[in-house]
Amino acid sequence: MDLRKGQIEPILDPNQSTYVYHLALDIGGSLAKVVYFTKDDDYFVDSEEGISNKKALEKSNGSRQYPVLNGRLNFKKFETSKINDCLEFINSMKLHFGGNQEQEIPGSQPIAVKATGGGAYKYADLFKERLGIILDKEDEMDCLVAGANFLLEVVHQEAFTYMGDQKQFVQIDQNDLYPYLLVNIGSGVGMIKVEGEGKFERVSGTSIGGGTFWGLGKLLTNCKSFDELLELSYRGNNRAVDMLVGDIYGGMDYSKIGLSSTAIASSFGKAISDNRDREDYKPEDIARSLLRMISNNIGQISYLNALRFGLKRIFFGGFFIRRHPFTMDTLSVAVNFWSKGEAKAMFLRHEGFLGAVGAFMSSDKHGLKELLANQVVQKAPSKLSFAVDKIIHGQPDGDESIECSVYAA
Amino acid sequence: MVDANSKFTCLVPRTGPVTKFRECRRQFGGVREAVWLVLNLYKMAGSFEKEQEVLGIIEEKKLESGEGDRDMAPAAGNSIHRSGSRPQLDVSKAEIQGNVEEKYPTILLPNQSDDLSHLALDIGGSLIKLVYFSRRENQSADDKRKKSVKERLGLSNGNRRSFPILGGRLHFVKFETRKINECLDFIHSKQLHCGGLESRYPDVTDQNGIIKATGGGAYKYADLFKERLGVSLDKEDEMDCLVAGANFLLKAIRHEAFTHMEGQKEFVQIDPNDLFPYLLVNIGSGVSMIKVVGDGKFERISGTNVGGGTYWGLGRLLTKCKSFDELLELSQKGDNRTMDMLVGDIYGGLDYSKIGLSASTIASSFGKTISEKKELEDYRPEDISLSLLRMISYNIGQIAYLNALRFRLKRIFFGGFFIRGHAYTMDTISFAVQFWSNGEAQAMFLRHEGFLGALGAFMSYEKHGLDDLMVHQLVERFPMGAPYTGGKIHGPPLGDLNEKAKVSLQISWMEKFLQKGTEITAPVPTTPLAGTTGLGGFEVPLSKGSTLRSDASALNVGVLHLVPTLEAVASEGGTDDAQRRGDAFAHAFSAHLARLMEEPAAYGKLGLANLLEMREECLREFQFVDAYRSIKQRENEASLAVLPDLLVELDSMDEETRLLTLIEGVLAANIFDWGSRACVDLYHKGTIIEIYRMSRNKMRRPWRVDDFDIFKERMLGTRDKKMPHHKRALLFVDNSGADIVLGMLPLARELLRRGTEVVLVANSLPALNDVTAMELPDIVAEAAKHCDILRRAAEAGGLLVDAMINTSDSSKQNSSSVPLMVVENGCGSPCIDLRQVSSELAAAAKDADLIILEGMGRALHTNLNARFKCDALKLAMVKNQRLAEKLIKGNIYDCICKYEPAS
Repeated sequence: MDLRKGQIEPILDPNQSTYVYHLALDIGGSLAKVVYFTKDDDYFVDSEEGISNKKALEKSNGSRQYPVLNGRLNFKKFETSKINDCLEFINSMKLHFGGNQEQEIPGSQPIAVKATGGGAYKYADLFKERLGIILDKEDEMDCLVAGANFLLEVVHQEAFTYMGDQKQFVQIDQNDLYPYLLVNIGSGVGMIKVEGEGKFERVSGTSIGGGTFWGLGKLLTNCKSFDELLELSYRGNNRAVDMLVGDIYGGMDYSKIGLSSTAIASSFGKAISDNRDREDYKPEDIARSLLRMISNNIGQISYLNALRFGLKRIFFGGFFIRRHPFTMDTLSVAVNFWSKGEAKAMFLRHEGFLGAVGAFMSSDKHGLKELLANQVVQKAPSKLSFAVDKIIHGQPDGDESIECSVYAA
Repeated sequence: MVDANSKFTCLVPRTGPVTKFRECRRQFGGVREAVWLVLNLYKMAGSFEKEQEVLGIIEEKKLESGEGDRDMAPAAGNSIHRSGSRPQLDVSKAEIQGNVEEKYPTILLPNQSDDLSHLALDIGGSLIKLVYFSRRENQSADDKRKKSVKERLGLSNGNRRSFPILGGRLHFVKFETRKINECLDFIHSKQLHCGGLESRYPDVTDQNGIIKATGGGAYKYADLFKERLGVSLDKEDEMDCLVAGANFLLKAIRHEAFTHMEGQKEFVQIDPNDLFPYLLVNIGSGVSMIKVVGDGKFERISGTNVGGGTYWGLGRLLTKCKSFDELLELSQKGDNRTMDMLVGDIYGGLDYSKIGLSASTIASSFGKTISEKKELEDYRPEDISLSLLRMISYNIGQIAYLNALRFRLKRIFFGGFFIRGHAYTMDTISFAVQFWSNGEAQAMFLRHEGFLGALGAFMSYEKHGLDDLMVHQLVERFPMGAPYTGGKIHGPPLGDLNEKAKVSLQISWMEKFLQKGTEITAPVPTTPLAGTTGLGGFEVPLSKGSTLRSDASALNVGVLHLVPTLEAVASEGGTDDAQRRGDAFAHAFSAHLARLMEEPAAYGKLGLANLLEMREECLREFQFVDAYRSIKQRENEASLAVLPDLLVELDSMDEETRLLTLIEGVLAANIFDWGSRACVDLYHKGTIIEIYRMSRNKMRRPWRVDDFDIFKERMLGTRDKKMPHHKRALLFVDNSGADIVLGMLPLARELLRRGTEVVLVANSLPALNDVTAMELPDIVAEAAKHCDILRRAAEAGGLLVDAMINTSDSSKQNSSSVPLMVVENGCGSPCIDLRQVSSELAAAAKDADLIILEGMGRALHTNLNARFKCDALKLAMVKNQRLAEKLIKGNIYDCICKYEPAS
């Protein structure tokens, strides 16, 4: 993630009349993700207006909920190795204080912030020391699932398929979402069978994930960043390093077992010749081969697990994908290949932020409630829920912010 | 069964029996059915030899598990069916002309070396795997006797000779593909490409001008083989071969499959009838996963492109390694924690126990290299190699398990060049399978994993495939050349093959071997070799069924020094040649033992029986046909000289005293055992008679295990109840000399006198001073000179075929006696594994209702706890203190007389 880009985002400009009221963190092995809510400047919804407003939410139990607040969910990520940048960012934005400068009371109790991911443990002391905030640890898997469930249930056009450059949004019936397989590709890969709100099980995973791509890629090429490596892979040709079925069978398909001549028989299998060293291979080709190897493998293991548990949908999320077309395409091809066309890989627009969103949702939104209690409603609402109005297209790599309404029960 | 037969009958006229056998087996699945069918097939083809070998398998079950009656039903049915199928004989016979033994019965030339027959190759990208079969004909036995025995046993089959079980071997040899010339030289030097028969039978070449081959190199090097050896490579499909090879190994070879967890190798016994379906995971450059549901019935269901090629390819890019093996070697010293992101790294050292992940679980392979400001050069190649190895092995294990689960395959076998017997690789794969299956599935590996393809190609020969080998159950258990090359490339001890061009083929490989032998740097205990008296004792306190513990330290030196060099050399007249071979043997055998010390499971699960057999095989390998020949002769002569006196004494006793004296005699005479260190000491101290007398004096009842009274009751009945005599008794004899002459022969005589047919069962090949089936007829003939009972029984049993007695008078007289027969057991070991016996013995066992096992090897080390369907008597003197303590809580020279009525 290019931080400089992030800093010129309008929502981060403290001079604008945008306020941050709530945030949550997901600190993974390679990336730290932040989700925070900003209130639209001058828009408070009063109850009267809410009724006439079409935004009234019909709940299944017949009760109605009314939007009380409009704002945005914002997404931001940092490399974990540069955790200081993250601290700096939070500090500069005063995010943890609800963003409301006036409410800062010196010497007040430390503020608790929901956090998930391994880093929530590892960096707990650092956050306390530097920002005086206590990281309130939420289970990683809980958050991941809660985040995915929220996004899939609430956000229109969150899921899509991607095959051969064709992106296609999938409309998912909220009542027919479960069960599904959630494949979260972070540094490693977790595969979770989700059967409902809070009902899920980690059924599998693999250690060959985003960390492997970036780790091996870093060793093999001179790339300085994950994005650079991805960029390279886009221009490469894996035939130079991979042993294809055609290489073994003299260009012929081994049709007897249903393998085409271009199928990869052995990733990096061609890189064994005596007289060629690492320097003799193009970094682009290496990056491409790595990407295909890893995507293919994840796609295969995911499909096998979906099959095993009779799950009809496979959603891929996590930071490895970064909505990189080629990655998504490879995953899709792998699922398609191994399922003989019966299963499709699906992706999430906010794939990188599942855990952070989940952590966000898990909190009692204290900041928001306080805000509402002070400024909008007479009584602090006991429960808040969100509805999404639209996605604000910002960065192309998944941190589009979501314009949403907050509803009070 | 009836169905199977009728189906078979209608199939026969179209194609050859072997092909049909395969088809039948495909149709009917079970091995038993298949075995059965092949009986019919060979019958029609007029090849009875095959039939007997098949019978051997069926019979063996009777001996071992006692479920024989049922099993025998088909065989009995066969003999009836036989004549019925005769009319089809012509057609079928024409089909299997390729059967060399059938066409060239003169193959039974004495003194010829190995008859090498089929050869098959698997030429891969990095290694050439070669499998060839050699059949030994080193005993041109007394065919008349055999014929007679066979007639007796209802197996009359004309002039066909049956091969003892040790008659054939499969050899496995590897060469590096880039050194293909070594391979060509090897083939040429052994004349493997022309069946090893070229010189004698030039007309065989046309049909042997084809070698079955598989692997990519079968295409690539086809021209080279044509040019250099004049043979064409007949390409077989790789996957077909792989599966055929795996099926063969898993069905026919004991201890082929094993699990490997945390450095512990555990052999798995697989019931050949319950093998399918299974998942075969072949890890080559890429990985193929094959669902195997039967012979020739399989489907490639999955695979992964992350395989051996990935390991080697990435490894080459990331390290400076020059070879796969070097990379693998590096991994041994690696620590993957420097490369991999572990669960503990993410959770600050805590387990993420909620989802069952421990802190040391790899969360992300190579994930740690992300956050560090290190270049590739800053990482240790060892760590990189290990991390790669774990990543790939783990991944393969996971995908394999998921596929096994998907197709409900209970067993997963891993093979292919990636594994190479590398312990860590196997551990990692095992761990992955165990981890992902929650302990429900286990990864299994194959001892001959590298040879699956080559074996499969070998099996694809029409005339000489899996079928008859299956029933032989023969394999080269102890690759003699292996210890010298670290088990890597060369097979039989041939030295430097590249020098072959300079020297004639006639130069003895022994010379080269001796040269090589001096270069050995293995930790060989050389000092005992020089001054050894030749023999250790059975120092390892191993009883029946126990095996060598997997930690090398458990290998007791007592057995390890069981190197009878001096005896061996003496047996050959102490010539220079014998001396040289003796030295070579000592080196080779010590190297074997050294290797076993290091890796006890190197040759499969070895019990003491196997270890002893290995020594005998090793002796034979160095052309010591019979290391104890002169000792045995001396002892036999001495014993035979006193036999008449013993018989007179016995005949003067009443029935009951005589029976007791006979059993005492067997136990006492069992002391003449060169396999016991204690006895060897006795040999060196006293004369033969003194020892014998001494041991007889020890014969005070009750013995440590004493079932004599029950046995007596069965033999002689009680006052109220007369017992019928046994119909046929199998006497498993042990040592030469007094043991056989003054112990077992008088006992046999007693049984004969009571109207029981007696079959003396002896070794096919020499082992220590054990009497062999070859020697027995002469001993019996000599004894018969002094005893009428023995003479008439021996004549009836065809042991004495003498012009003198061939008159009508005596033949009439003959018919009045029950026969005394000699049958070889198919073994060359002091112990006996009843699962692997000769066809003759199996046939003889059919009607036996009494089995007498004599001696430590056959009654104690093995079979002590075996239960038989017929009456069984186990007789032995315990000549080892530790064994005595362990087995019977007794002392050395205690006796065992264990009688178990038919169960």
